[in-house]
Amino acid sequence: MLPSFNSSTTGGKMHRHGYSNGHTSYSLRPSRSDFEPHQFQPRSHNSLRRRRQLIYRLGILCLCLPVLLWFFPSLRTYILSTVTLGGLFSSSEDFQLETVRYYDLSNVQGTARGWEREERILLCAPLRDAAPHLPMFFSHLRNLTYPHKLIDLAFLVGDSKDNTITLLTELLESLQHDKDPNMWYGEISIMEKDFGQTVNQDVESRHGFAAQASRRKSMAQARNWLLSAALRPTHSWVYWRDVDVETAPFTILEDLMRHNKDVIVPNVWRPLPDWLGGEQPYDLNSWQESETALALADTLDEDAVIVEGYAEYATWRPHLAYLRDPYGDPDMEMEIDGVGGVSILAKARVFRQGVHFPAFSFEKHAETEGFGKMAKRMKFSVVGLPHYTIWHLYEPSVDDIRHMEDMERERKDKEEKEREERERMERIKEQFDDPASQWDKDKNDIKDMATKEYLESEGQQQDGQHKDEHEQPEADREQEQVPAPAPAQAQAPEKKEGEGEKKPSEEEKKSGEGEKKAEV
Amino acid sequence: MSPSPRSLRRTNPISVVLALLLAVGFIYFIFSEPSDGAASNQIRDATKSAANALSPPSLPFRKPKDDEELVATPVVHYMMSNLTNSAEAEAKQETVLILTPLARFYQEYWDNLLSLSYPHELISLGFILPKGKDGNTATQLLQEQVAKTQSGSKSKRFASITILRQDTESPLQTQSEHERHKLENQKARRAAMSKARNSLLFTTLGPRTSWVLWLDSDIIETPPTLIQDLAAHDKPVIVPNCFQRFYNKELGRMDVRPYDFNSWVDSPTAQAMGEKMGKDDILLEGYPEMATYRTLMAYMVEPDGDTTKEVQLDGVGGTALLVKADVHRDGAMFPPFAFYHLIETEGFAKMASRLGWKSWGLPNYFVFHYNE
Repeated sequence: MLPSFNSSTTGGKMHRHGYSNGHTSYSLRPSRSDFEPHQFQPRSHNSLRRRRQLIYRLGILCLCLPVLLWFFPSLRTYILSTVTLGGLFSSSEDFQLETVRYYDLSNVQGTARGWEREERILLCAPLRDAAPHLPMFFSHLRNLTYPHKLIDLAFLVGDSKDNTITLLTELLESLQHDKDPNMWYGEISIMEKDFGQTVNQDVESRHGFAAQASRRKSMAQARNWLLSAALRPTHSWVYWRDVDVETAPFTILEDLMRHNKDVIVPNVWRPLPDWLGGEQPYDLNSWQESETALALADTLDEDAVIVEGYAEYATWRPHLAYLRDPYGDPDMEMEIDGVGGVSILAKARVFRQGVHFPAFSFEKHAETEGFGKMAKRMKFSVVGLPHYTIWHLYEPSVDDIRHMEDMERERKDKEEKEREERERMERIKEQFDDPASQWDKDKNDIKDMATKEYLESEGQQQDGQHKDEHEQPEADREQEQVPAPAPAQAQAPEKKEGEGEKKPSEEEKKSGEGEKKAEV
Repeated sequence: MSPSPRSLRRTNPISVVLALLLAVGFIYFIFSEPSDGAASNQIRDATKSAANALSPPSLPFRKPKDDEELVATPVVHYMMSNLTNSAEAEAKQETVLILTPLARFYQEYWDNLLSLSYPHELISLGFILPKGKDGNTATQLLQEQVAKTQSGSKSKRFASITILRQDTESPLQTQSEHERHKLENQKARRAAMSKARNSLLFTTLGPRTSWVLWLDSDIIETPPTLIQDLAAHDKPVIVPNCFQRFYNKELGRMDVRPYDFNSWVDSPTAQAMGEKMGKDDILLEGYPEMATYRTLMAYMVEPDGDTTKEVQLDGVGGTALLVKADVHRDGAMFPPFAFYHLIETEGFAKMASRLGWKSWGLPNYFVFHYNE
């Protein structure tokens, strides 16, 4: 079919042609029949039928689609997605989940200035019945100066009998919903795994010698589970931190990172009550290997575990903890072989290449000490900072508690005794008249008498009396003061302040009484 | 007049109905496959995918959109106590992580991987490739196949794929079979291999992985039910026998021969040799200058023997090796140093046994190695 405008432009010629040839031209060119210009012709049945068929088919399709969608609901999402996203390949791929990831591990080696290169840190904390320490731990988290969005948090909560999980979730949620986006951390995972450990977590059984080997092995297992589930190809560093650290610098991550070592630990001490000396080395697991210890290791059987800080194994190793000088250079480094687990910063590649916390006896050590040993075995640098100290929470041991109870009892007994003494003195005071006023009166009398005597004698011996005039009152004053300070000094070191002040006045009274009696 | 309208006018209403039914059936056929995929995608959405790109690599994640508002990442709980690794792996929907240190890409390896009948949506893949020219070529070939598979039929797609490039130096430039197997090269080569394996393992092992299948890139033929068959034994560490197909000139036909000699039962001779060695020396298998008299699984084959026969082993090979994820989580890794004079996969078996996990072998169950 030719377009209609085409036929109209050549209209004149065809007109004439039509007139002259009549039906001949019509039959010769049947395709032009519809365009007979001088005659109305309704649309052919043919095209009308075609259109009706089209509508018919469309109708069937429209009916089919809902039926299909009715029977296969999953189709709806498919169609919806293609329709809303334009149905193009690119946008439908957007809708899909991302399943392929590519990482180059040489980009996550860990450098001295990780915060500038946006290096990610995995912060691992194994927890068990740790609810009491969590608020303190989270205040530390909030204060860390390393960019929070570069830190991924991973917790393993196992065999907890308290509300560790609920409290942890609550604190994490509030941290992630903080108004300040700088507070938000990266990926946060809580692994819940019960190993069915029977070892008690209280201080005494935790640190008892007999329980050490199996306790260290199960701790190691928990640490390995946590790390293997949380370590990603994006991590450059791994930081292990116990939740019961009481005081640590906010910049600890940067401070440790600056040394650019494979494994690095600070010195860990703990504050103590005054009667125990004020402070004490806490983490004895960071040490340098000694010949004695190596010889000892050879005598032990395959599954034995050497633990530090117990008389059973005298290793004579130099401990990081004992080398602390409060005024020493905090950047000073010391090569060590065993590491303590309170606060370890390690490059992620150490863990990637297979170093872990042996849950078996590895070269006669387990857990963090075995970790240090294994890292050394794989030629990584393991370093401790003797003068950079963080402070572990002081939890009194059973002995300490017993001792403190004794002290408390002693204090109460002493107070009781003092109270009785005071009551006795009260009673004495009530029985006798108050001697003070009598004493004052007597003193004044003596003074008056002395003045009289003096005035009387003045006229007779005026020349030789100048010296006496000055000396006499001074001697008087001294006599009054002497009893006061002497007993106070003698008793101060033993007695409390309140008593120290009270006692001398009693002494004074006593001596006053004595004097009075003597005078009487 | 065209013939079609005429024929339609004449057609029986029954044939119209039949044609309609056919059309519905046809449309259903077209859409049915994606509809399955959509359904499994919904499962993934609900339980397995993570909302952010920081998710474990063994899980797919949703790409962040450019205009998306900055929100804090959610707190995610992983119930690792509920994680199982049992004999009924498929029925319990246990996830499998297939790990492959890949130096050369073989198309046969990929085809074999695709033919595994374990549900692919429960399988995550992890690859580690060395740096350098060979590594680049292999990465390119791998990525082509990955792209094809992950955008192809949804039932063939894997849950997630992680491709890592190694950060450790490969001590040998050449990967030729002859050079690789020289005794003096073995220790350095296997130490580097151990580091690659460990790097791959510890970065891809997710909190929801139940099983880890180590499959070397030159394993080109396994039964399609490999995972189900090995898992059915419910052993912490289990290894099939690795053989190689070759053309036997004497017989004039294709034949098989043992390939992997690292699966063995220890011998007193080997123990005594170990005691005399230095701390960093290693014992190796399959070298005449170092006769250990260990019982090798490669020679335990019984013709037409029971494929489910189990043997307890002291050393395992890593060409194909199914491990319960718990074994790795407890710390069993591939020692890159002499561990009881053993290294890599053999050292792994030793370390697993120190942790209380026993290794087993299937002498009559075969996988086949590529023949160069």
